[in-house]
Amino acid sequence: MNDPYGDAGAATFTASHEGACDGAGLLRRIGQGDEDAMAAFYREHGRVVLAQVLLVTGERAGAEEIVQDTMLAVWRGAGSFRGESSVRSWVIAIARRQTRDRLRGKRLRVVDDAFLADQPGSGPGPEVMALDRAELAEVRSAIRELRPAHREVLGLAFGSGLSLPEVAGVLEIPVGTVKSRLTAARTALNRILNEKGQNR
Amino acid sequence: MNADPTDTRYPHLDLGDLIAGAAGQPIGDQAREHLAGCEHCQLEANRWNLVADGVRGLAAAAPETAQPARPRRIRQRLPAGPWRRAMLVAGSAAAALVLLVGVGAATGYVHVHLSRPGTETALTAVTGCSQLEQARGTLEQVNGSSLVIKTASGQPVTVTTTASTFVSMSGALLSDITDGASVMVRGHSSDGTIAAAIVTVGPPFSAVNPPGFVPVQGTVSGASTAGFTLVMSGGSRVRVTTSGSTVVVVPHAGLGQLPAGGTTFAVGHAGPGGTLSARGVAVIRQLPQGNPQLNVSLKNCSPASIDSALAFGG
Repeated sequence: MNDPYGDAGAATFTASHEGACDGAGLLRRIGQGDEDAMAAFYREHGRVVLAQVLLVTGERAGAEEIVQDTMLAVWRGAGSFRGESSVRSWVIAIARRQTRDRLRGKRLRVVDDAFLADQPGSGPGPEVMALDRAELAEVRSAIRELRPAHREVLGLAFGSGLSLPEVAGVLEIPVGTVKSRLTAARTALNRILNEKGQNR
Repeated sequence: MNADPTDTRYPHLDLGDLIAGAAGQPIGDQAREHLAGCEHCQLEANRWNLVADGVRGLAAAAPETAQPARPRRIRQRLPAGPWRRAMLVAGSAAAALVLLVGVGAATGYVHVHLSRPGTETALTAVTGCSQLEQARGTLEQVNGSSLVIKTASGQPVTVTTTASTFVSMSGALLSDITDGASVMVRGHSSDGTIAAAIVTVGPPFSAVNPPGFVPVQGTVSGASTAGFTLVMSGGSRVRVTTSGSTVVVVPHAGLGQLPAGGTTFAVGHAGPGGTLSARGVAVIRQLPQGNPQLNVSLKNCSPASIDSALAFGG
């Protein structure tokens, strides 16, 4: 039986990430020192931020510390939110900076723009065929092997509920470059799957 | 949409549409209609869907084992009150169910998994959602705004509803697909015909786009037990075939529509005297063919997640 959903979490539903709470209102209350608002903010965004950071870093303890630092920055800097972006993209951008700083300390590069920005789109070919044959669990495993910048853009596009313009805002690059980077990520994913000789 | 240099007959979906679709974000009617009839774009959409599902699977799995931050660090760097409380909340959310609805089109099986299946107590906690309780069983009767569910152990549970309770009904309800109905069809496309795995009747609120499935929205024409013609907003028409394994979902069903004897799931808050104040109720009126296993899955503890799960992705 070929059931692509037998793996828990294989298919996901997209729910509104702003939820019932007014994100900007929450931040205003946090800025006034409202502890309940901080808890609500964490409830609303903490899981997604942790997932995104973990996807990039691949290391749980470090990811949790980055989320701590991110939430600390939110607690201290909620008043600086000007509503020029969604709350979700604002907090993810903070988390990204925290991640970058942390990884930079380890002399790792989060994003290799020179490599990524000009990656050509991939037409159907042997590597695409590898993806066509792949099972979901294999894809998940292969994603873990991608370079951090590829995991980052995939996580932002598909795991954070952000639109492409919002992803571009978080990464501080044009939308077209986001698309190129996503294509490059998929090409790399295909390559990993192909190298593993996955068959379905 | 985008012109494909290798095929100038019509423009294909551009990367933005494909990514938006895989991300669960809306795409235009024109793009949707093109997707329904273009195998090239369906293949591309399926590839992006698979990547997106892989990412979401990792993201959903990550918090399950995440631990609250270390108290030493918290005390050092944050006011104890809000931070500790936030992390406690996070710890609860971290363990939330990461279970989702899936349909194995090849087998006609539906998998909906509610936590701890087979439990024999009347109300059980929803793992990871400290405020939520669940009940499952057979619908005995509907009394006004209340339902009585008989659990596997024979215990009756009274489920109360309000105007905001989400109620869905599903099963092999092909008779609910009538001419003029607004539907979303998900299934495999071949030679311009879609073999429907799931048909959601009424305006969908959350579209799932599983790999290999083509989601198409439109109005039903020429309905029969074998299928119907789907008329899309731009006037395009697609033939849809249905079978005994097609799952029909009616989200936002009325309590009066719920049939006694239906397999019932309810999620909500514990009320007085062992009752359940329901946030959502799902009733399977008639099982599709194939002896399906039924489970309901929540992505997290939010009302939106409950609604989505109980509507089987409708």
